Amino acid sequence: MALASVNSIPGSPPNWKLAPSLAIDTQGIVASGFGKLETGRALFLEFTWPASVPGGAWLEALQESVTITHGVPAAQQDRAAAIAFTGTGLGYMGLGEQALASFARPFREGMYQEDRMRRLGDRRKGAWQESVIDGGPVWSANTPPRDPAEGKLDWMLPYQVPHDGAPEEDIRTPLTVHALLMLYTRTEEDSRLWRDDVVALLARHHVDVVRQLELLLDVEHQGISREHLGFADGLSQPAPYGLTVPKDESGLVTLEGRPAARDPVQGVPLGEVLIGYQNGHSEPAPGPVVPTWVGGDPSKIDPRPEQAKLPPHSLAEGFADLGLNGSYLVVRELKQDVAKFWTSLEENAARIRAQDPTANHVNAEWIAERVIGRGRDGHLLCPAGYRKPDRYGLPDNGFLFRSDDPHGVGCPPGSHVRRANPRDALAPKDDQESRETLLQAANNHRILRRGRKFGPKIADPKVDDERDRGLLFMCLNTDIARQFEFVQQTWLLNPAFATLFGEVDPLLGPAGPMTIREKPLRRTVDVRTYVQLAGGDYFFLPSMAALRYLALL
Amino acid sequence: MRQTTLCVPLEVKPESCSRLVALIEDLKRAEDKGSDPRTANFFRLHNQIPTLHFLSMSVFPAAEFDPMFIIEANFDGPPGPFWRQIDAVAGERIRAMIRCCKRPRDDTGALYDAVTEPGSKVAVARYLEARTEQPSVFHHGNRGLSRDRILEDHQLFLAVRAEIDRPTGGRPSPYRTGTAAQAQTLLRAAMLPVFPWLDDPAPKRISLSERISDIFRLLRFIVVALVALTLPGLLLAAALRWQVYLSMLGITAIIIFALLFKHRAAIAGTEVINRGKVHLLSPVKLLLLLVGAALTIFLATLVVTPIILAIDAIGRFATPFDTAAIPIAAREAAYVAALGVVSVFVTLPLIVLILRYNEMRDSAQDRPPQDERMLREMIRREDWIAQNHMGSIVLIKPGILRSIIIRAGHYGLGLFLRVTATDGYLGSMRTVHFAHWAFLNNHSRLLFFSNFDHSWDSYLDDFIEKAHAGLTLAWGSGIGFPPTRLLVYDGASHGRQFKNWALASRTVSRLWYSAYPDLTVDQIERNHQIANGLRKRSMTEEEATAWHWLL
Repeated sequence: MALASVNSIPGSPPNWKLAPSLAIDTQGIVASGFGKLETGRALFLEFTWPASVPGGAWLEALQESVTITHGVPAAQQDRAAAIAFTGTGLGYMGLGEQALASFARPFREGMYQEDRMRRLGDRRKGAWQESVIDGGPVWSANTPPRDPAEGKLDWMLPYQVPHDGAPEEDIRTPLTVHALLMLYTRTEEDSRLWRDDVVALLARHHVDVVRQLELLLDVEHQGISREHLGFADGLSQPAPYGLTVPKDESGLVTLEGRPAARDPVQGVPLGEVLIGYQNGHSEPAPGPVVPTWVGGDPSKIDPRPEQAKLPPHSLAEGFADLGLNGSYLVVRELKQDVAKFWTSLEENAARIRAQDPTANHVNAEWIAERVIGRGRDGHLLCPAGYRKPDRYGLPDNGFLFRSDDPHGVGCPPGSHVRRANPRDALAPKDDQESRETLLQAANNHRILRRGRKFGPKIADPKVDDERDRGLLFMCLNTDIARQFEFVQQTWLLNPAFATLFGEVDPLLGPAGPMTIREKPLRRTVDVRTYVQLAGGDYFFLPSMAALRYLALL
Repeated sequence: MRQTTLCVPLEVKPESCSRLVALIEDLKRAEDKGSDPRTANFFRLHNQIPTLHFLSMSVFPAAEFDPMFIIEANFDGPPGPFWRQIDAVAGERIRAMIRCCKRPRDDTGALYDAVTEPGSKVAVARYLEARTEQPSVFHHGNRGLSRDRILEDHQLFLAVRAEIDRPTGGRPSPYRTGTAAQAQTLLRAAMLPVFPWLDDPAPKRISLSERISDIFRLLRFIVVALVALTLPGLLLAAALRWQVYLSMLGITAIIIFALLFKHRAAIAGTEVINRGKVHLLSPVKLLLLLVGAALTIFLATLVVTPIILAIDAIGRFATPFDTAAIPIAAREAAYVAALGVVSVFVTLPLIVLILRYNEMRDSAQDRPPQDERMLREMIRREDWIAQNHMGSIVLIKPGILRSIIIRAGHYGLGLFLRVTATDGYLGSMRTVHFAHWAFLNNHSRLLFFSNFDHSWDSYLDDFIEKAHAGLTLAWGSGIGFPPTRLLVYDGASHGRQFKNWALASRTVSRLWYSAYPDLTVDQIERNHQIANGLRKRSMTEEEATAWHWLL
């Protein structure tokens, strides 16, 4: 599949950047996936210090060995790091009740709230679904359920008749994760050395590393790397830009030194990835606050927000803005069964060929490409074959579906890429206005992916070596419900997506049918469960100022 | 097949409110046999009320009112049979619920007594029918498809799917080897023995008489509205010379438009991007308006001509029926009426301008209080099946002009939807099964019910991203609604504010029944198109190819 055009120019397309004044206050991972630092570690931390130890002490101490990378790139970077916290982690560190209550609901409740689990397709009626590893996920923030007595007493009390259902389920995992520390290095050797340093340092400060994952991003060329199944990954990303209405934020994101204009296909307002800026609803993306006083006395000034240089909050007088330049990080550890994927598709292909002697083109590779929606090298499937590469010879991501492939003959309507971001595919009519409206609507539900794969490469993709491997899915968004959860519930795992019936994402979902449209007649493939949730939760990725504040706790 | 949407709002004795909720939960537990795999959910409702599409029972608490118990029903055909059927299924349980409600103070009080007295055998349906509230605006997705049609089409869809996927024992599938048209013929032959109704012609979804009556009622509304708007102009046109009259109109119109232009923009800091395009004048609307104007002129002429003749006759002491004067008088009358209609260019913008001044002074509630416990009860009932349900009540903004606008607006919008939303969808919203608005408490509160596909969040996102204008028009009269501009702009585009506002107005859908829990509006239309394709004895190759994409 040699698709790189002879006319392609070397290099990679330019990337968006944050204005330096902004970048210096954000963690580097917001605007960069650290593509040049291909190895690394994800360290899942649990806090165990006694009550007498101040909650921020370990962060202060961590600086001996780890500098959390901010967004202004150093000339030669050999190491980078990012850090994010769960709700229980922030609580353990001593962040006040009020501040904790100011976070977004999904973060406060955690990923394992009973109703949220159902919407995410992980757990239903008290049972883990097929797309979760046996026995349930091993790690989470272990957020306690909401207090059932909350709001119980009211003025109608004397006439109460019992009618409430069962109390909220208390879903716990064996491991509790309070924070996630990501280390990025140039070599695996350095990863190991750094990890050893950090683990030892953390142990001295009563922070246990309860789980570790070896991360890998084996870049082949021009920033392209493959996930374990062998497909080029991380290709399509939203491109932030600054809105001009009601406030002019156009200078905050740049592309080749100039204010970034809205990308017609991938453009999302900056506030979709960074708290405090105008989002898809033309309002500053809401974030958490901290009171500027201590001890229940508003006249007693708390010096810490000032020391950390937290700005005052724009709506809440007397509160400092803890969220500005931060974001929410969704993490899901997804185990992949590579051998099952390829063997089951092989079986499907064999079955189809046995039933239909004319189906010579149907093999495991053919089905796999349709499950994903792209070829192995990342080029989109089109009715006429593969989409032509862009001018850098890379997979072109400026495509739309509605006009070019309305029935999904090229890229199936239920394929992973079409579900994960349908672009304009769901437009009811093939006119300019309908397509544009639906494209913009879809762009209100985008996530900035920062995931990496873990585990060793499989030697023979058709033979199960019983080693753990998969994707540490990570994404940034400011409205978890409207962005990540929407994508998961309304697109990926929606059995009625795009007027399909009773089928979900063939890659991520549980076993079931998948429709592949083809002339003269569609085919049905029985996909199995290839990806299973091994752990995950919602994290807060603080700004550099908020990080300074947390270290003062 | 025509559908009916209605609701029965009953005021609750506050002391019995919790008891009522418990009774509804009891009924739900008794009917919802989801835990027993041998029976389907709500199989009694399913079998014994074969006309029923969606049913809900909820209790709305409020800070300003005593709680309101509301039964919402969407079914095929007229209400009579439906009431009898629901009485048979749950009459006694509903009687216990009615006992938790207040005795109405109007003339239905006696019926309330008869229905609620100990040991009463009076059918509760009689009371419910008497207390029924008609919707002000409603929408029926998959309009004209009866419940049984929807279910049968779906059975056919499943059979077609199984037939296509049936193993062929190593031979190529017969549906692949020939042309698309041949495949259709073969599929039809395979399905016909199981689905003999494929030989019948497809039932008409909207009958001609229904269509004519819908169009007639809309035109009647436009004419009445135009007459109301042109009445001042009509009087002035009769009294003034046309040059003076038109100059006056022109100058006033210029002033009004200038003021509107001045205040067209959002107040600084509340600007928002309106994502969907707003089409104030589509060809259909323009055509309706022109037809309305012509009708108005015609009717006004009919009314004014005899008046002129009478005045003329009185003035000349002549006989009132001077036939020679009729054409002259008619011409005069038509002239005045046409001049009068032109004044719409003043009266309509004037109303918008006054509303705009109101809008600039309206208060939007950025963060409405949200009862955590109720939120949890709502969310735990959501996202179990392909559809979800919401019920909401909001207070209506006060003011004479607003009251007139909202009533006329809802009435007109309702008629307009009947004429335009005929393809099963609500414009760009393709997820609404049955939705309606109704006024409560002497037009001081607005009730909204919707049975829709996918999650509540995605439903609201649809409004924000695709249909903010229509929604802003219909709901913008609610107290605390995000700032609107010129009735249709902004409003729902303030996405998070709008969602918060809508969420706070909702209540728990205690009992909610769907006759086809795994079917979306889109899927129902798809199934129906597949069925209609198989009803055809043959197809052209082109037709068959397009039809094949549905399979």
